[in-house]
Amino acid sequence: MKPLLEIRDLAKAFSVPGKSGDKANLLQAVDGVSLEIAAGETLGLVGESGCGKSTLARLVLGLTPADRGEVLYRGTDLCFLSPRQIRPYRRQIQMIFQDPFSSLNPRMTVGETLAEPMLIHSLCSAKERPQKVEKLLNQVGLDAAAAARYPHEFSGGQRQRISIARALAVEPELIVADEPVSALDLSVQAQILNLLREIQGQHNLSYLFIAHDLAVVEHVSDRVAVMYLGKIVETAPADELYRQPRHPYTEALLAAIPQPDPNLAGRPAPLKGEVPSPLNPPSGCSFHPRCRYASQICQQQEPALNQLGNNHQTACHHSDKVGQSLPQST
Amino acid sequence: MYAPLKKPNMGPLLQVRGLKSYFFTRAGLVKAVDDVSFEISAGETLALVGESGCGKSITSLSILRLIPEPGRIVDGEIFFDNQNLLRMPANEIRRVRGNKISMIFQEPMTSLNPVLRIGEQIAEVLRLHRGMNNEQALGQAAELLDRVGIAAAGSRLRDFPHQLSGGQRQRVMIAMALACDPQLLIADEPTTALDVTIQAQIMELLAKLARDRQMATLLISHDLGVVAGNADRVAVMYAGRIVEYAEVKQLFSNPVHPYTRGLIACIPRLGDKGLLKTIPGQPDAKTNSADGCAFLGRCPTPCRAGGPKMPQLQEINPGHYVRCWRA
Repeated sequence: MKPLLEIRDLAKAFSVPGKSGDKANLLQAVDGVSLEIAAGETLGLVGESGCGKSTLARLVLGLTPADRGEVLYRGTDLCFLSPRQIRPYRRQIQMIFQDPFSSLNPRMTVGETLAEPMLIHSLCSAKERPQKVEKLLNQVGLDAAAAARYPHEFSGGQRQRISIARALAVEPELIVADEPVSALDLSVQAQILNLLREIQGQHNLSYLFIAHDLAVVEHVSDRVAVMYLGKIVETAPADELYRQPRHPYTEALLAAIPQPDPNLAGRPAPLKGEVPSPLNPPSGCSFHPRCRYASQICQQQEPALNQLGNNHQTACHHSDKVGQSLPQST
Repeated sequence: MYAPLKKPNMGPLLQVRGLKSYFFTRAGLVKAVDDVSFEISAGETLALVGESGCGKSITSLSILRLIPEPGRIVDGEIFFDNQNLLRMPANEIRRVRGNKISMIFQEPMTSLNPVLRIGEQIAEVLRLHRGMNNEQALGQAAELLDRVGIAAAGSRLRDFPHQLSGGQRQRVMIAMALACDPQLLIADEPTTALDVTIQAQIMELLAKLARDRQMATLLISHDLGVVAGNADRVAVMYAGRIVEYAEVKQLFSNPVHPYTRGLIACIPRLGDKGLLKTIPGQPDAKTNSADGCAFLGRCPTPCRAGGPKMPQLQEINPGHYVRCWRA
């Protein structure tokens, strides 16, 4: 089956002004990323801040132009379409942002916010709109009376429900969710994750689900891609990735998750040092200065993304050694 | 792991008794902290857990008497090292802040001064509380930066906060908090803004410092994973009140209050693909002032036993306190 969305060798660099007199530096935010998302599938994307995951999301949505590569949506490359040509695809790909406080217009009622995308894409007559708004609100678990109110009257979790309703208003096929629950309290986070799963079943939606919380990503995703310094270092089916990571970075990320179990207290931090500057990435494998498996070849040669079978790919010279010593969590 | 140091003939380092911090807003009275009591001994870490708005940050700010207007501490006692902080004159409490009790905050970018070099910011604490001259203070600042794991500390003194990464900034905050060798460190969400791998490094650093210097820590967090790995005892707060208080292993193996149970159940766990358990509804600030059990509206097993009365915090096992009619 053809994937719904196919990303091929996508790259984007930003020019960062150098210190006085220096030349501008190039920051390679996304560096040759290839991914696929099938219809009805959730692809999780994890990585630490600055690894390029949000830039990747913006490239997929066409909010940032790509330097090279292709974003194929049902076989059509979206990268070089004119604004007029891309409009129908905009309807198919919607986005949910992290901060429900800044992503809703404070001067529009919830009803206006939900009706606007229908108006822009001429989806229904003005008469039908209030009914559709009501239906959307019910779908995300809000009362129909919410339509007349303004965003500031709602809590963070409720606002995120409104953002989800807005994304659903144009009946998209793919939703890009960039850290949709990281600003929410724990008890509300679980509600939103369950809601996202529920509407996925009802509408056969695909998700590109971006988060830094590996436990959350693993929970919602069918497949997970791990990103480090602009590159995908590992992709695998979600349960396989956490049971048997084959990239040292994935292994370290998993080990760094604080476990809600006091008996596991006092585990040493799995990684020393910090993410290197993307302005001056290390030679060879960009993870080698922090990697406990690193050898000489890692400093010189960049590992390619290798197929390990069963949809599991990893970019590591020592992938056969990784994942042997991971303590099994319950 | 280390055993909490119990000095004979001496009470706990910090004792908070019946603390009430209320906010007198135009919309009405908000009981942000309502009758909160706990203690921390030297070398011990107590975690305050709860969701936004439950009063955990106001509790910590009350200890330093830093709660903003229109908030006021209306009742209670806070004994630190056998002195009542609430009765101390303003110039004396200023000598305690940043000296015997220091604090680190969630967002290191907003709590560091962006236009001062980091060496200068650390040195300021030492000049103020320790009476050092500039040279001594800068020398000590370099040593502190080294102790919190900043490489080439001497040359980083002249950096501005924006030149550092988030993890490094939090290390600078910690260095500043430790400058006067505090007896109590209040860490308010110290790793929430950081990535998981950096979070693990910072928590390891805090644990080591607490161990080496017998420093007591009040850890404020909403992340039960961080709490499980770093606290000795845990107080769970809901709507301004402590609803459960226990030793960390006891709390996680035998949570009793339905709110604690709900919080532990709604963490996504690796390997579990089912629907998450949720606590219906959301924490509601208005329930802060309600008379009955504040959790009643969200409770999976609501009871009528108490009627409109608030259940008391009762000891159900030695050292394990719960505020629930069903306990």
